[in-house]
Amino acid sequence: MGPEDRIRRMEDDGILTERQAAMLRDSLSGTPKGQPTQPTQPEIDGRKRWMGRILGGLVLAMVAVFLVLAVGTGGGGDQIQDVAQTLNQSGEYGQMNKSLSVILAAAILLIVPLLLWMWLHNGLVSKEERVFEAWAQTESNFQRRADLVPALVDTVSRYLKHESETLTAVTEARADSLADMAKAIEDLAEAGKAAGDLLRERGQAVIEEETALRQLYEAQGRIGRGMTTLLAVAEDYPDLRSSDQFLELQAQLEGTENRINVARMRFNESVRDYNRSIRQLPGALVAQVGSFKRKAYFQSEEEARSAPELEFD
Amino acid sequence: MRRSSSSIRAGWLILVLAGLLGLAAQAAQAEAVDDGAALMSQDQRARIAEHHGYLLQDYDIDYRVVTAADVGDISHFAVLRFAELGVGEASATRRGLLLVIDPAQDRVRLEVGYVLEGVFPDAFVAYVEHRQMVPFFRADRVADGILAATELVVTRAQRAAANAGFDGEAWMAGSGGGGATADADIGQGWTNEGNVGGSAKASATAAGPSPEITLGRYLSAMESRNGDPGLALYTAETRGMLRNWVMTPAQMTNVVRTYRNCTAERARTDPTENLAVIRYPASQRQCAPWFFRRGESGWALDLTMMQSAIRFGRSNAWRFDLAADHPYGFAFADWRFDGNGFPIGD
Repeated sequence: MGPEDRIRRMEDDGILTERQAAMLRDSLSGTPKGQPTQPTQPEIDGRKRWMGRILGGLVLAMVAVFLVLAVGTGGGGDQIQDVAQTLNQSGEYGQMNKSLSVILAAAILLIVPLLLWMWLHNGLVSKEERVFEAWAQTESNFQRRADLVPALVDTVSRYLKHESETLTAVTEARADSLADMAKAIEDLAEAGKAAGDLLRERGQAVIEEETALRQLYEAQGRIGRGMTTLLAVAEDYPDLRSSDQFLELQAQLEGTENRINVARMRFNESVRDYNRSIRQLPGALVAQVGSFKRKAYFQSEEEARSAPELEFD
Repeated sequence: MRRSSSSIRAGWLILVLAGLLGLAAQAAQAEAVDDGAALMSQDQRARIAEHHGYLLQDYDIDYRVVTAADVGDISHFAVLRFAELGVGEASATRRGLLLVIDPAQDRVRLEVGYVLEGVFPDAFVAYVEHRQMVPFFRADRVADGILAATELVVTRAQRAAANAGFDGEAWMAGSGGGGATADADIGQGWTNEGNVGGSAKASATAAGPSPEITLGRYLSAMESRNGDPGLALYTAETRGMLRNWVMTPAQMTNVVRTYRNCTAERARTDPTENLAVIRYPASQRQCAPWFFRRGESGWALDLTMMQSAIRFGRSNAWRFDLAADHPYGFAFADWRFDGNGFPIGD
C-alpha cells in the first residue's frame, strides 16, 4: 500500500482530519508538475555556458592567429634557405626570429592566463556540481522520510484503535498516548507542509539562501521529532514494540534518519570545499565574473553559531 | 650440474611464492576481521574470515568486521570506517558490508554499501541483528553471533542471485548510511525458556503417532517461535541439548521458510521400527533429513543425532559428517555420497 492510499484510508477512518490529510499529501509531493525545480539554476548555467563559449572561442582565435602568422613568417616549407646568403646579409636571420619571438611571447601572455582562467572556472563548476549532487541526495532522503510518515501514523494509530476496542476500560495511560499521538500527527503534518512548501517555492536555489535553508532545517527537525514521539508512544506497548512489523518500520525510520545525517554531512563538506574555493584567490576573481554564489550550510542556528570559521590554507 | 642448480632455483622460487601467498592470506584475514576490542580468539577470527571469504568468492560481497571500544556515534563511525577501509574494493561490483561492534557502548551496526541496499534493506538488517545476532551476543558468544548472521546474509544473497536481485554494475562505491544499529547486549544472558513465542496446548507439541505428524507439530512450533527446549516432541537427549543452545527467532523462522519449499518423501523406518527418517530428494540441497526415535508417547525428534551427523556447507547445502557414527544410515542405503559427505542421489 502506497503513502497516498494510507492517507486516504486514515482519512476515511477518521484518524486524520481533512486538513491534516491535505498537509501530509503536500509533504509527499516534493514539486508539483509543471513547476520548475530550479528557478534560478538554469540562468546561472546559461551564463556559465556562454562564458565558457566566449573563453573557448578566444583561445581558438589566438591559436589560429598564431598559426597564420607563424606560417606567414616562415616563408614556406618547400623553400630551401641559402645559408651562405643569410650569412652574407647580416641581420636578416635575426629579424625573422625576432618577429616570431614577439608573436610567441604575446600568444603565451594571452593564452596561458586564458587557459588558467578556464581551468579555474571548470574547477569551480565541478565543485558546484558536487554541491548540487549532495543536495539532491539530501532531498531524496527527505522524500524517503516523508513517504514513511503515513506508514508510521497508520501502524501506531491502528494498534491503539485495536487496543481500545479489545480492552473494556480506557486507561489513563492510553488516553495520554492517544493525545500524544494526535499532537504528533498534527505537528508532523504541519512540519511536512512547511518543508514541502519551501522546497517547492525555492527549488534548488534554497541552498543559496541562508534563512530559507535554516527554516527547512527546522521543519525537517520537527518531522524527525514528530516521528520520534510516535515511536515513543509505541514503546509503551510491548506487544507492538516486539512485533516484526514494528521492528521493520523502526528500522526504516532509523535508516532514513541516518541517511539524512550522512547526506547532510556530505552536503556541508561539499559546500565548505566550494565556498573556500570561491573566496580564495585566484578562484575569487573567476567566481565574481562567473556568478558563482556562496552556498549556505544545512544546519541549525546553534550549529551555525558554534561552527568553526572558514579555513584558508 | 646445470640442471641441478636450476632445480634449486625453482625450488627457492616455489618457497618464496608459497611464503608470499601465506603472507597474503594472513593479510586478507587481518583485513576481513579487525578485532581491536579483542572480543574473539584467533581461531574464531580465522573462521569468520574463511566464511566471509566464501561470501566474496560466491556472491562477490566484501564483508568486513571491526570491533572497537568507544567509537562515539557508531553510525557515523561506520560510514567513515567504511570509506577508510575501502570496504567493497575487494568486490568487482563494489558490494560491501561492514559490521561494527562497540562493546564499551554495547552497540552493533551493520553498514550496507550503496550497491547492496536493494538486497539488504534496513528492515532485513535490523531483523538479522535483533532476531539472530544479538541472542548469541547475549549468551556471550560474539563470534557465533557474527557467523549466525552471516548464514542469513548468505541465504538472502542466494535468493537475490536466483532472482536476479543483484545489480551487476559497480555504479557507486561507499555507503550512505544504509543498514541498522542495535543494542548488542553482550553477555546479558539468554535462555530459550524466555523465548517461548506461543501458548500452545501441550497436545500440539507432543510426540506424534507418526514421524510426519511430529514434524508437522515441530514446524508449527517453530512458526509460532516456540523455542521451549522442553517440548514433548523432542527426545530426552534433545531436550537436554537444547537447554544449552541458543535458538534464535530468526533460526526458527528460517527453518519454516526453508522446509516450505521441500518435498518430503514418505518416512523410512529401520527393521526394528524404533528409528525413522524423513528425507527429501538429494537435489533439494538445503533440505536436510529429519531423524526420529520412537518413545513411549510416540515418535520424538532426535535433534541430538542430527546435530552430530549433519553439517552445512558454504551455500547452506547439507552433508553428512563422514566421521560421525549414527544409526540412521539405513535410510540412505540407496544413495551415493561424494568424498565430503554431500549426497549425490541414487
